Amino acid sequence: MGVKDKIKYIFSYKIAGKLLIEYNTKKTFKNFKPPKNWRTDILAPSLRTGVYTKEIIAKHYLEGRYVSGVKPVAWVTSGAPIEILKALGFYILYPENHGALCGARKVALEISEEAEKKGYSIDICSYARTDIGATLSKKTPVGKLPKPDLLLCCTNICQTVLYWYRVLAEYYKVPLIVIDTPFVYDEAKEHDIEYVKKQLEASIEVSEKVAGKSLSFSKLKEVVRLSKMAAELWLEIMNANKNKPAPISVFDQFIHMAPIVEKRGDPETVDFYSKMLDEINERIKNGIGAIKNERKRVLWDNLPIWYKIRFLSEFLAENGVSVIASTYTNAWGELAPMMDIERPIESMAKTYVYPILNRGTGHKLKTMETMVKEFDLDGAILHSDRSCKPYSVGQMDQRLKLLNELGVAALLLEADHNDPRAFADEQIKSRLKAFMEMMD
Amino acid sequence: MLHVKIPTRKEVIEEEKSKGKRIAAVYPIHYPRELFRVFNIQPVEVWGPPKTDTKKANAHLQSYICSVVQSGLSFYLEGYLDIVDLIVVPHSCDSLQGLGSIFKDFIKPKQELVTIYLPREKNKENVEFLANELKRIYKQLSQLCGFEPDDEKLMEEIKTEEKIDKLVFKFYKSRENLPLSSREFYTILRSREYLPPDKFKSILEYALLHASKGKLKKTGIVLSGLLPEPMDILDVIDDMDAFVAIDDMACCMRRVYGEGHSSDPFERIAERIVNGPPDPTKGNSFDERFEFIKSLADLTSAKGVIFYNVKFCEPEYFYHPILKEKLSKAQIRSLIIENDINEPLPQQTITRIKAFIEMIRESS
Ligand code: SF4
Ligand code: SF4
Repeated sequence: MGVKDKIKYIFSYKIAGKLLIEYNTKKTFKNFKPPKNWRTDILAPSLRTGVYTKEIIAKHYLEGRYVSGVKPVAWVTSGAPIEILKALGFYILYPENHGALCGARKVALEISEEAEKKGYSIDICSYARTDIGATLSKKTPVGKLPKPDLLLCCTNICQTVLYWYRVLAEYYKVPLIVIDTPFVYDEAKEHDIEYVKKQLEASIEVSEKVAGKSLSFSKLKEVVRLSKMAAELWLEIMNANKNKPAPISVFDQFIHMAPIVEKRGDPETVDFYSKMLDEINERIKNGIGAIKNERKRVLWDNLPIWYKIRFLSEFLAENGVSVIASTYTNAWGELAPMMDIERPIESMAKTYVYPILNRGTGHKLKTMETMVKEFDLDGAILHSDRSCKPYSVGQMDQRLKLLNELGVAALLLEADHNDPRAFADEQIKSRLKAFMEMMD
Repeated sequence: MLHVKIPTRKEVIEEEKSKGKRIAAVYPIHYPRELFRVFNIQPVEVWGPPKTDTKKANAHLQSYICSVVQSGLSFYLEGYLDIVDLIVVPHSCDSLQGLGSIFKDFIKPKQELVTIYLPREKNKENVEFLANELKRIYKQLSQLCGFEPDDEKLMEEIKTEEKIDKLVFKFYKSRENLPLSSREFYTILRSREYLPPDKFKSILEYALLHASKGKLKKTGIVLSGLLPEPMDILDVIDDMDAFVAIDDMACCMRRVYGEGHSSDPFERIAERIVNGPPDPTKGNSFDERFEFIKSLADLTSAKGVIFYNVKFCEPEYFYHPILKEKLSKAQIRSLIIENDINEPLPQQTITRIKAFIEMIRESS
């Protein structure tokens, strides 16, 4: 660890940066006003606790600017088992979250084009293109991303990440840990879990070597405990939408899920979600819905369309449609009960095999059917995301089943989560209008 | 030009069925041929097929799914696979994963569905996992067939496959001495996708008898990608007084596995697949892939590499930019083209291939 790096880190992040961010959060929280142009005529005021989402993310990326040489840095896939790295003190960066941030700030296209210029096809996942583009050009809306010392890629979301992380490993010349999770067509077999467990065990040695210290199992248990707590709170927040009116829209969930993805295993994340849950319960007590006029309750399947969250949220709210359940945001909560604090590695092996993206198309349909019943939904929007094949394949059959067997309106909405070239406002509006007519 | 009579898939299926064998329709890419054979099951691979009308698949798959999967599903939905007894879907990529899942959850074929998870990376744990996965499939097949072949029989089948792999390698090495067009060469080689081993072996041996001392005086190309479909690509190359000297294709060279070492048959098959030639769908590193392609070029007189990609095939896409760069540093030129296996080769693609061959010829 360089002394200079450490001084810079302490001063720029720990003292000046962090304090300034925290001071701003306190001030904003105290004099809370919804963001500019917030459509209070159709939407509930934005969540006050949302200021903490901003704080957590701002601190996270600020730390990233100064962390190199101070803490080991790992870049990981969104569904990766990060608990071991957390317990070893790694700073963890999620390129997918950074990609989403680029999407939401409408710079993903410019950054992806940097990758396309170097020969990366427009037909590969737009997260990968954004990240490779950022790696090649150093363009990012957060100032600077720290270089990885280690890459951790888990195939429980897709195979795409394997090739993408190969590119990163080639570029950064750092060790790549692959946790390969067999796809679960119905139930995971014993040898599947054993295989993942062995890979997790093997990953400890590599991670320890990069971190320069040994893993403390009590620390690991603590991280698993905090990770489980945060995921349970997140699940509770989402389940609060079984109330009528539903207190938090899926579009808000997309924004406020960043800490559960990025800061799982931190005590601040647990605090944050318990504060948010309090605010949600307050809303329920006061009968405040995410939108003012909740006429229809709808499910969202697949990734968000990051660069059009506001557009979609307002257009649907104007028409009394509240999007309140999502297979995507649910994915970061539904597995919490499987984590066993006393048997961290074994339970991680099982938990990380079971994310929705690593399970069959029938399982996803069942998840949607359960949501339709439990959240009393009138319709489902299935975002057919041309970038994400594992999430999208099967949607055509799933849509028909929802329509014909459950009798709920179901729309297949063709777009891309991070590439605005696949989104045409007027065409999307008319598809949504037709969908709303189906629900009436 | 050789006069080799190669039976068609349909003829093989009918003949093998008449002998009481079961037929398995197998989707791409890696799978244990030996394991099916020991149960008296003849695998017949479904690589598309090309030039299929994919209307029927459009009800299940979005347009951004590759044509291999689109055609493969349409082919089933059109009823062409009604005659088979099993459907085998290896987990090669996200799209094939989706296909297996749609089959299982929505289409529900009357045939037995076998899925295979193929581990990524090359290591001991992965061999162990795949061996367990193969044991699971063994159980599924023994329930279907009502018998349990012993290890010795399975080992015999493995050894047969190992011998054939060696013969295939010899066939490749003799490529420049064989009076065959690229289309003929690959028609022979790809008949392994559906022929019983003895038939395939005798065709190869017959072809090898015609190897001459004189070498083809043409420009050699390494063809990389999934499959050479539509096969017109081979004619375009040959028309330029060039030929495919060797390939790095999923349907061909990437499945020429080395010998296994284990005395346990399941482990031995697993070793062969896991340690086989690098393949994007197995997640091999850039260096492994580069070294392999370079070694292919070195083995032959190939002067350039054509990456012939199926549109929407993500596993292949990711490797292109870096491989191209590495090859260029090694003074090997390369060209990337893409196509849909159901579409004829566009004129623009033909022009690019021709220009590429002219360029490498001039610079060598
Ligand atoms: S293909 Fe899908 S799951 Fe994979 S990285 Fe892209 S968006 Fe995520
Ligand atoms: S062509 Fe590519 S995407 Fe299509 S099935 Fe083959 S490996 Fe998968």
